[in-house]
Amino acid sequence: MPTKEGKLTDSDKRNMRAAMDRFIPPVDDLPGAGSMGLLDEIERMSVEHERYRKSLVRFLDALTLDMSVEVAGGFLALDDEQRDEAIRDIEGSISNDFANVLEVVYLAYYSRPEVHKRIGWRTGPLQPLGFELPPFDESILENVRKREPFWREAPD
Amino acid sequence: MANGSSVDVLIVGTGASGGAAAWRLSEAGFNVLCLEQGDWQKPQQYPTAHANWEFQGATSFAFDPNIRQLPEDYPVNDSESAVSPLMFNAVGGSTIHWTAHTPRFHPSDFRVKSLDGVADDWPISYFDLEKYFDLNDEWMGCSGIAGDPANPPRSERPMPPLPLGPDGERIARGFDELGWHWWPSDSYINSESYRGRNACNNCGPNGFGCYQKAKGSTDVTYLPEAVKNGVEIRTNARVYEITVDQDGRANGVMYYDAEGIEHHQTAKSVILAANGVGTPRLMLLSKSKQHPDGIANSSGLVGKNLMFHPYAMVTGFFDDPEPNTFQGALGNILVSQEFYETSKRRDFVRGYSYQMNRSSGPAKTATGLTIGPVKWGEGHHEEFAERFGKSSLLAIISEDLPEEHNRVELDPKLTDSNGIPAPKIFYKVSRNTRKLLDHGIRNAEKVLKAAGAHRTETNPLLRGGGWHLMGTARMGDDPERSVVDANCQAHDVDNLFVIDGSVFVTSGAVNPTPTIQAIALKAADHIIDERQDLKG
Repeated sequence: MPTKEGKLTDSDKRNMRAAMDRFIPPVDDLPGAGSMGLLDEIERMSVEHERYRKSLVRFLDALTLDMSVEVAGGFLALDDEQRDEAIRDIEGSISNDFANVLEVVYLAYYSRPEVHKRIGWRTGPLQPLGFELPPFDESILENVRKREPFWREAPD
Repeated sequence: MANGSSVDVLIVGTGASGGAAAWRLSEAGFNVLCLEQGDWQKPQQYPTAHANWEFQGATSFAFDPNIRQLPEDYPVNDSESAVSPLMFNAVGGSTIHWTAHTPRFHPSDFRVKSLDGVADDWPISYFDLEKYFDLNDEWMGCSGIAGDPANPPRSERPMPPLPLGPDGERIARGFDELGWHWWPSDSYINSESYRGRNACNNCGPNGFGCYQKAKGSTDVTYLPEAVKNGVEIRTNARVYEITVDQDGRANGVMYYDAEGIEHHQTAKSVILAANGVGTPRLMLLSKSKQHPDGIANSSGLVGKNLMFHPYAMVTGFFDDPEPNTFQGALGNILVSQEFYETSKRRDFVRGYSYQMNRSSGPAKTATGLTIGPVKWGEGHHEEFAERFGKSSLLAIISEDLPEEHNRVELDPKLTDSNGIPAPKIFYKVSRNTRKLLDHGIRNAEKVLKAAGAHRTETNPLLRGGGWHLMGTARMGDDPERSVVDANCQAHDVDNLFVIDGSVFVTSGAVNPTPTIQAIALKAADHIIDERQDLKG
């Protein structure tokens, strides 16, 4: 189980990686989220923000202690379908914490340049480049401009 | 305890209203001090300047102070509220994180009782505010186009509209197909360089501050001019009490500085500009022998009649590979006011606006904002692909009628880091509002389908949507039914003014900030014209 400060043990890390691979499975040439090397980043984010840290601790506690995964070898000994079932049980029992854990995993995964490349997102800061858009073209107002004013008058 | 030398006008808060009033009063030679619990922002350090901008947006720059938890924030107990109030504490206040979508109230919004027999009329009219709307558009920098048939005629906008983008044009054509009104949004975002600030470069998430200073937040519009006029902005100053003399008139405030040291700052008058939660909190905290229920609260209405504008959100998913719906200012595209007014054919009173919103970056797409997160597990990548860059949103912004049971109180247990009681919010969505939102949802689905969406998904009530905080120190002519008069002067205390969203009598069905700022400018003019006794 994680320490109070949210520091993960080796066993936590193995479980978390396996769970993350179920959250976001491999796609194309990318591995699942757990095999992508995101855990250090998630630990850092969790230390930085208490909401994530507390939820990560509770999630990993549940992953370790939940009766459905108390088999020899624990969560890691389950096949994919059983892992999904165990995760769904946790999602149902500690839904707020689960939502926070999923959020921090998504934030980490979708900040990675290799993921950006796959989905067609220009990686890095949004500024100062921004995006180009064509300027406003008044011709699109042609229909709505035909309409008579319809705002409602009010007594003074 | 330290004391500062007395000033003419002490303004609590430097957001939309405080910034506007500070400038206007200082132009007229008043000696103005602003106390602000946050600090100056550095635009070059806003989240969008960093690769991890989406993480910052979810944490240290979140809209919800309970998530952000910065030292300058105070917690809000929203456990009894259907909607979470949102705010930002900094020089510029919530104009740092707003989307700067700036429609005006309609004339009918000020006469709800006379026209529809509900709530109350305001003691002022749209046309009392018109010149202040224009002045504010000029100072904040409005992009838009005159000629909207849903609104009274207005002057030419200082700048042309922001680009609609191919995604905006697609939704506009959807409204056209149904024969329903739409119009390009008025926005306080520069479509071209304006008064030394850059044009918007369409980066998208303008709720995280504006790196280019293209967005009109008061820290880059009114306040620099106010400072040039001699206004002092004292930051990291958390006000917790308005002090009074033996006659019950305001004579200053108590505040903590960043080191936790208490100060008493004296003033000839006090203006509250901390908006619809911060202002009533401070008024309720200011109990004295003369004001046992909180300052200026003889009506018992301080904190009551909280209005939010509950939002419903309908997202449409489109098949086309182009356009990328994350390119362009988030919520500054177009509005529809087809259903703004009461109709006898409908089973609710008053109405709503539509505001089109864009989608966001990859992480926010995955974590969800107006709909839940992308599902985990098998099918994750397919669902992400359906959403990312291919969804557009219609927000239904509903009129929220005042009800006394919707309110702000002081929490008996929860406090901020200085031990000051936090606000507790009690808020329920009314039956009228629910009917109105449901009507809006049904019609939004029609628009999105007409625009080509292959599927829509609805959030019937956005919990994290309490951007607009109104009604908790309402304006009126009757001191038993209101807190301040038509000039924003407290009925009970002639040198105390409230100039923020708290004074709203009704909410309209549009974003309130231009109306807040017009009211603040009008109140400042009243002080300049009629209250020279507060000067010098």
